Amino acid sequence: MALVEAEGVHVRFGDRVVLEEINLSVNEGELHGIMGPNGAGKTTFFNTLTGRVKPNRGRIRLDGADVAGLEPHAIARKGVARSFQIMTLFNDFTAQENVMVALPAFRARGFDMLRAVAGDSGLADEANEVLASVGLGAKSAISAKLLSYGERRALEIAVALAQRPRVLCLDEPTSGLGTDGTLRLAELIRSLKGKLTIVAVEHDMRFLFSLADRISVIHWGQVVARGTPRELQENPWVKRSNLGSFE
Amino acid sequence: MTGTASDARLITPTMLGAWLVLATVPLWISTIGLYPYIGVEILIWSIYALAFNLLLGTSGLPSFGHGAFFGIGAYAFGLTQFNVAANLWVALAGAMLAGALAGLLVGLFIAHRRGIYFALLTIAFGQIFWTISVKWHSVTGGEDGLLNIVRLPVNLGIASFDITDNERLYYFVLAAFAVVVVLMWRLVNSPYGRILSAIRQSEVRTAHLGYNVWAYKLSAIVISAAFSGLAGGLFAMAQRSAFPDVMNLAQSGLVVMMTLVGGGLVSFWGPVIGVIVFLIARDVIGAMTTGWMLYFGTMFVLLVLFRPEGIAGGFKLLVERWKARGTAPEALSSEPRSG
Amino acid sequence: MFDLLPHLLNGLVLGLLLALIALGFMLIIGLMEQINLAHGSLFALGAYFALMLTGPKPPLPPDAAAFWLQIPLGWRYALALVIAPCLAGIVGIAVEVCMRRTYGKDPLYGLLLTFGVALVLEELIRLTWGTRDHVLPVPSGMSGAFIFQDLIWSTYRFYAAGMAAIVIGLVWLLIEKTPYGAMIKAGAHDSEMVRALGVNLSKLRLGVFVLGTMLAAFAGIIVAPIWGIRPHMGVDAVVPAFLIIVLGGVGSFWGAVIASLLVGLAVGVSGAYASEWSLLSMYLLLVAIVSFRARGLFGKKSMLEV
Repeated sequence: MALVEAEGVHVRFGDRVVLEEINLSVNEGELHGIMGPNGAGKTTFFNTLTGRVKPNRGRIRLDGADVAGLEPHAIARKGVARSFQIMTLFNDFTAQENVMVALPAFRARGFDMLRAVAGDSGLADEANEVLASVGLGAKSAISAKLLSYGERRALEIAVALAQRPRVLCLDEPTSGLGTDGTLRLAELIRSLKGKLTIVAVEHDMRFLFSLADRISVIHWGQVVARGTPRELQENPWVKRSNLGSFE
Repeated sequence: MTGTASDARLITPTMLGAWLVLATVPLWISTIGLYPYIGVEILIWSIYALAFNLLLGTSGLPSFGHGAFFGIGAYAFGLTQFNVAANLWVALAGAMLAGALAGLLVGLFIAHRRGIYFALLTIAFGQIFWTISVKWHSVTGGEDGLLNIVRLPVNLGIASFDITDNERLYYFVLAAFAVVVVLMWRLVNSPYGRILSAIRQSEVRTAHLGYNVWAYKLSAIVISAAFSGLAGGLFAMAQRSAFPDVMNLAQSGLVVMMTLVGGGLVSFWGPVIGVIVFLIARDVIGAMTTGWMLYFGTMFVLLVLFRPEGIAGGFKLLVERWKARGTAPEALSSEPRSG
Repeated sequence: MFDLLPHLLNGLVLGLLLALIALGFMLIIGLMEQINLAHGSLFALGAYFALMLTGPKPPLPPDAAAFWLQIPLGWRYALALVIAPCLAGIVGIAVEVCMRRTYGKDPLYGLLLTFGVALVLEELIRLTWGTRDHVLPVPSGMSGAFIFQDLIWSTYRFYAAGMAAIVIGLVWLLIEKTPYGAMIKAGAHDSEMVRALGVNLSKLRLGVFVLGTMLAAFAGIIVAPIWGIRPHMGVDAVVPAFLIIVLGGVGSFWGAVIASLLVGLAVGVSGAYASEWSLLSMYLLLVAIVSFRARGLFGKKSMLEV
């Protein structure tokens, strides 16, 4: 069953075409990798999927309903969460607060102006649970800006998970991580597999090939190849373009 | 911004302490060479600065035209008193409502903006309201101002108190200040306040978490404008008049300055500290030299350059250093980075 | 229609003067992405310096003063046009040196800093020259009026508009036809390129800031005989200047010029129907245009939007 379907998505900035025509479908429960060279339009596609960029043409369906052109918050409410390549954590908040504001229960109380956040242990417990699931259980009271790089990466994912999404979009999750950090992240993502649908834009070939159920290769604003990691390794286009050398 | 037990309380020890000290002010203020009216001014400007800081400090929205809401509240207080009912509560409600409506109008144009563009548009709107107040003689009295505003009695149903005397007015304004402090404290520590703070830190992320950032910003502008209007209403009552000059660019800049000097970016009480420092400095330095703005302006420039977090920020830093003495400076840094 | 002609002309003159005022502001915001709220005070300083040089009591030793006053007013005025902006430029250097600490930070800090500087400068002006209004003496050839089509026209306004047009042209030449212009244009977004061109970015910034200051001061001298000299004149100038930049779009030369003319015409024409409210028209114009075009008429994407 396709949960996310992009159909003929075309994006232009001024007279520069960034996405020519993206056709792509992500099945429910799979981990779908997106790869391609720099400037191929991966991040733009991601931004389009999550509402940051409005497509000039084409549809993006989430569970059958067209969401293309909706505002980011509207798409988020339909169950699409994303992490950011350039981390945009709430630096003045603690790890726990970062996660807390992402919880749907918190969002439901968003216009509550009179009851204190600090008095609500339910929200705090829920946030701590999410933190524990990414291995940050002990860091809940630490200010986000004081966390190490790897911890911040993990917190990025925790914030997205806290949204209880149906689709989790990860934008370059390993970016800036060393081998050790990447391994731990792979472990974390593997533990999420099957529980929710994941779309990951990623440079690191080994990372993606070892985790993804299926992969789409975006180049020149189009999907030029798709398939399981095994199929892709045999794909003549991928071989010819020497995909392995994309960083 | 870490959630602590005191954030959850309705009234914190700091508040109680501040109110107690403020309650004694009329008893000793004359002995240090100041006069009771400055206390009234300090409290009113504190309400104004707290309301303003909901935008600047909490939501990260730099309004450089906030004088408009203050001024509109002042005029509305007078006009309600003259034309609707000579009742204190009605007039104050009128001031708040007028502020809120002006905030809504401005907010519809600027709530999708942030940063410098937000600041520039607030300047433009501030100037629009200021021009209207100067030119619309039949309503505002133009440059002559709206005169003969009365300090209406405080009618509590069972009893009514006269507040024409400065000292009594001071206690009434102190009560208003106390209410505003409690409300603002609630607000910034509520989920709503946290989301405003999240918007300040990253608007993009907040939107991707499913929050309608525009609606939050608009509502924050309206709330801030309403309380600024309330402060303006109190000011009109204290001054017994309303003038356009509170709406001009320099006056709008003053509230920004006071808030920053006090440390509104890092502390709830920052705006209040800033107002106290500013107004006392105005009177003390102003009594000694005519060019007091020169000294204050210089101080402000130095502050922006070297201590942008303000007085409260510097104080916080001192406290943190004092607390941290002896302990390892950064517990986390001992851990190897995973990157 | 014909009745409107004087108003259109007045609007056009005002537009040119506004463009002259906004030029320096535009250069600084374009290169450094900093709002210089002290622009107005530097504008005022220019006028006061010129007053000092052309007025009856120059701040010189008695002998030198007597010698200076012997020089005909026309010459003194001409010299003031050069010297006063240079004096203001020195103040500009001091401001830029302070401002360096805010580069790369949130532009809000630059705005706050220059707001503080504006307060200080305005107060200094008050302390030095007093709060009363002054009149800048101009050579008799430029003052006075003439009659055309049964209407009285002020000679000075045409002289001022002409000067404004010339300076606008010179700045355009600087930006478009000289290597400095290329650097200024590249500077805001591409400091790499500026370095590649072999320029020291901090020197370029200082240079542009001083140029912006001198343009502000020059505008102050030109506008002073029309608006009068008083401490508050800075605020009266900086508000339209920033408004024009927002309207025209940050980083666009012609945007600023066209916006100035639009504002001038809007104020001039609305002055024909409701002179009391004519100033309001420029704010309404801003709100109307910026509501539909977020970056103003010709604006490019800039850091200031974030």
